[in-house]
Amino acid sequence: MVSRRTLLALPLLLAARRAFAFGEQARFTFAQARHGGRWDPRPDGLSRLSWEISKRTSIETSPAVKALGLADPDLFRYPFVVLSSDQAMPAPADNEVAELRRYLSYGGFLLVDDASATRGGPFEQSARQLVSRIVPGGRLSRVPRDHVLYKSFYLLDGPAGRVAATPDLEGLELGGRLAVLYSGNDMIGALARDSLGSWEFEVTPGGELQREKSIRLGVNIAMYSLCLDYKEDQVHIPFIMKRRRI
Amino acid sequence: MLALAVTALAAGVWLSFRGFRSEPAGARRVALLGFRLLAALLLLVLILEPGIELRSESRVRARVALLFDTSRSMQFPAAPSGPTRAQELLHWAQQHQPDLVELGARFQVDAYGFDKDVQPTDPMRLPSDPQGPATDILGAITSAASAGTGGRPLAGVLVASDGADNAELSQGVSPAAAAELRKLNAPVFALPVGARALKDLAVEKVAVDDFAFVRNQVTVDVILTARGFSATEVPVVLRREGQVVAQRTVRISGDQSRYEVKLSFVPDRTGKFAFTVAAPVYEGEAIAQNNSRSFVLKVIRDRVRVLLVVGRPSWDVRFLRQLLKKDPNVDLISFFILRTPGDDPHSSQDELSLIPFPTQEIFQEQLKTFDLVIFQNFNHRPYRMSQYLDGIAAYVRDGGAFAMIGGDQSFSAGDYAGTPIEDVLPVSLLPPGPTAVDETPVQLHLTEAGRRHPITELAAHAGQNDSIWSALPKLPGVNTSGPLKGGAQVLLESGEGRPVLVVGEAARGRVLALLTDSSWFWSFVAAGAQQGPRAYETFWHSAIRWLVRDPALTPMRVASERPTFEPGGEPPALDVQVRGSDYGAAAGAHIGVVISSATDPAPRPAGMAQAGPDGNARVVLPPLPPGAYKAQVTAKRPDGTAVGEAEDAFVVAPASREQIEAAPRPDILQAVASATKGKMVDPADPLASLPWRDPERVEVGQRTSKPLWDNWKVLVLLCLVVGAEWTLRRRWGYA
Repeated sequence: MVSRRTLLALPLLLAARRAFAFGEQARFTFAQARHGGRWDPRPDGLSRLSWEISKRTSIETSPAVKALGLADPDLFRYPFVVLSSDQAMPAPADNEVAELRRYLSYGGFLLVDDASATRGGPFEQSARQLVSRIVPGGRLSRVPRDHVLYKSFYLLDGPAGRVAATPDLEGLELGGRLAVLYSGNDMIGALARDSLGSWEFEVTPGGELQREKSIRLGVNIAMYSLCLDYKEDQVHIPFIMKRRRI
Repeated sequence: MLALAVTALAAGVWLSFRGFRSEPAGARRVALLGFRLLAALLLLVLILEPGIELRSESRVRARVALLFDTSRSMQFPAAPSGPTRAQELLHWAQQHQPDLVELGARFQVDAYGFDKDVQPTDPMRLPSDPQGPATDILGAITSAASAGTGGRPLAGVLVASDGADNAELSQGVSPAAAAELRKLNAPVFALPVGARALKDLAVEKVAVDDFAFVRNQVTVDVILTARGFSATEVPVVLRREGQVVAQRTVRISGDQSRYEVKLSFVPDRTGKFAFTVAAPVYEGEAIAQNNSRSFVLKVIRDRVRVLLVVGRPSWDVRFLRQLLKKDPNVDLISFFILRTPGDDPHSSQDELSLIPFPTQEIFQEQLKTFDLVIFQNFNHRPYRMSQYLDGIAAYVRDGGAFAMIGGDQSFSAGDYAGTPIEDVLPVSLLPPGPTAVDETPVQLHLTEAGRRHPITELAAHAGQNDSIWSALPKLPGVNTSGPLKGGAQVLLESGEGRPVLVVGEAARGRVLALLTDSSWFWSFVAAGAQQGPRAYETFWHSAIRWLVRDPALTPMRVASERPTFEPGGEPPALDVQVRGSDYGAAAGAHIGVVISSATDPAPRPAGMAQAGPDGNARVVLPPLPPGAYKAQVTAKRPDGTAVGEAEDAFVVAPASREQIEAAPRPDILQAVASATKGKMVDPADPLASLPWRDPERVEVGQRTSKPLWDNWKVLVLLCLVVGAEWTLRRRWGYA
């Protein structure tokens, strides 16, 4: 039986520009964490982001999104996992938290996107609790505006999403890199389209410009997960400083 | 006590005089005073107990110490093309034999030979080939001064030497040394030997660390001494195995003898090299051998400089970059293609952080600064890099290292077939097409070569190593390739025998082909399977070390027994460890050694040996003249096939300052003589005529004492005087 997600992804699969190299796993593929709550609030958002990444950058992506439980061993085949909901998330089991901790410590990346975009809302609270369980004593902290995340592909001046609920991204570093990134503005929601291809949600207050910024932020996050601090190498600095001044 | 007695007696005389000073009769006053003075004098004699000492005396001859230099520097010519200093000194002694006899009539003459120690010698039998390892003039003088017998006074010291002191006086006579010389209280006369060959230029000292870092400036500090030169300019050259790497011109002036020269260069490759600092040999120089000095410098990496060129971001790229960035031994320069011409970022260039791909800079100008170049899923075509591929291949053949990592833009799929890159790869390539990649998941296995090779050694035990590789996750696919090149070794292959990891050598360079873009599975996916990322990390660390020829992973090694060998001492010897490129001991391999030197770059056969069962051998080379040498060792199996080659550098040079700082130093002798109020002696001067200190020393043989007071007559006289004075005082009315 063909699922709604596969149906939605079909045009994107057909639009893939390059032949597969070594199967799906060699491509950049989003995994989506299947948790006890409403884990897939924006069913089309990640596929759309994959398509945008593929269209705008040299990254080869897979439009298919892999939904996996937090303790699923296959999660380690997908180093980028998205955790999202627009409601409170039931606390994951201890073994799920332990696996997520291993996942992050060995190089995995977790993007937490609050689809409710409600500051201090139920999902945000449950996400913060989860982070404090993953890294005991750890807490999300503001990602500074000069972080490489904001210049990994596009030169950005801040976060964006469906709404402007929070002025900053927050993150948790492990081993000198951002391992957990929290977006409180429903970034994926800004990219979601309906079955007819129209934008699923209106973007406020910035309109389409804000939507474009959301796409760019999504591209930058994917690029950061693959290149880490590449854009902080010495060779890039004069170019980036010059363009920042423009 | 004596003063007290004299004071008491004087007081007694004074008191007595006061009693009769008003006596009108002068004769009475004189008589009374006379008796009182006489009594006081007698009393004083009794108190002082005077006596007469009778001694028998004899006169003692003073000592003269003759010091003859018997150090090795006396083997150098006393004059250009003339006899040695030792021969000249012996000749002087023989000519002055009558003089010495005459001197012996006046003084006790003690003759010593000296170098770093002092020993009695016969001036007529001074050695013609002295072997003293050092020259210590001050030590010799002080030892000789205190060595005499019978406490004879020192009349003076004669020092016959070239003055080439390499102990306390090497930098001249310091105030402390002058004070010590003055304590002798005797003149030192100095006979300079070899002073006619005063002109000498010497590379006296070369100071440099034992090792240096490649691509970092190295400074060699040189002390150049020039004596007997008028104002001139002297070129000082630093050569690495005959090739000039640095040069400075030193302006010599007549009023200065020591010059500091700094020679700087930047080593461009790692290894052990023989360097020589040299100044020209000018006509009439006392010693030509000290115009150059050689040393061995080991050039190592501070960090492995890696150029990582990536066709597109991927997880394989991400995990490799993360590993290399975390490695403190790696200096990573990476270029990622983040956007291809077909991508549309929906923005202007100024909204992107992208930079132009600096192909000319990295593949032409900077290429030689890298120890390792990695192409990771990178297709050169879109970036018009064909013009640089020749240079990259030449860089590899010239000793660089190159790795190609698979992907849909790599190997055959990257259109490298028929390019210079294919020429250096260990596998041949196929034309690009749908068969360039095989998406069938593969389980890797170690080959026989892989079981021995350090790159694939994840565990010390072979069985455990096999198990680790077999347990690693399947890879989602591999790049296909054509036949292997000669000398290539497959270390990992798929179950169907498709090569996945192949290594080889291209002339002096090393190459690695990893025909997959999924080695990150050995890290993250393996971690998910509870195996951890250790296999991935160990594999890549070992691969990089092997590629850049980390000495610890070099299959064939040669090491000279010492970095420096003494000329005329034990001949140089090399320890050779022969292992094939498969790291198996090459038992019975025939080893040949050729050597070349900085002055003679043509390699010449110098030794042969056969490796033992453990692949080890020791090769003793023939005695070699002083110089810097490079030994190139090749090994062949009994069937004539090559095993490998290795090289090492060593120096044959005198290690002691005695032979290096051997120029005559009459200035030191002059300073010693001046400090003791002695003088420089002309060889023609008769010794007896020198102004020796001639102290007359009297020695007491027998001694007797006769007391003058111990006599009854003194006591009776005292009684009579006192009685007479008392009688007269009573008669003349005094109390």
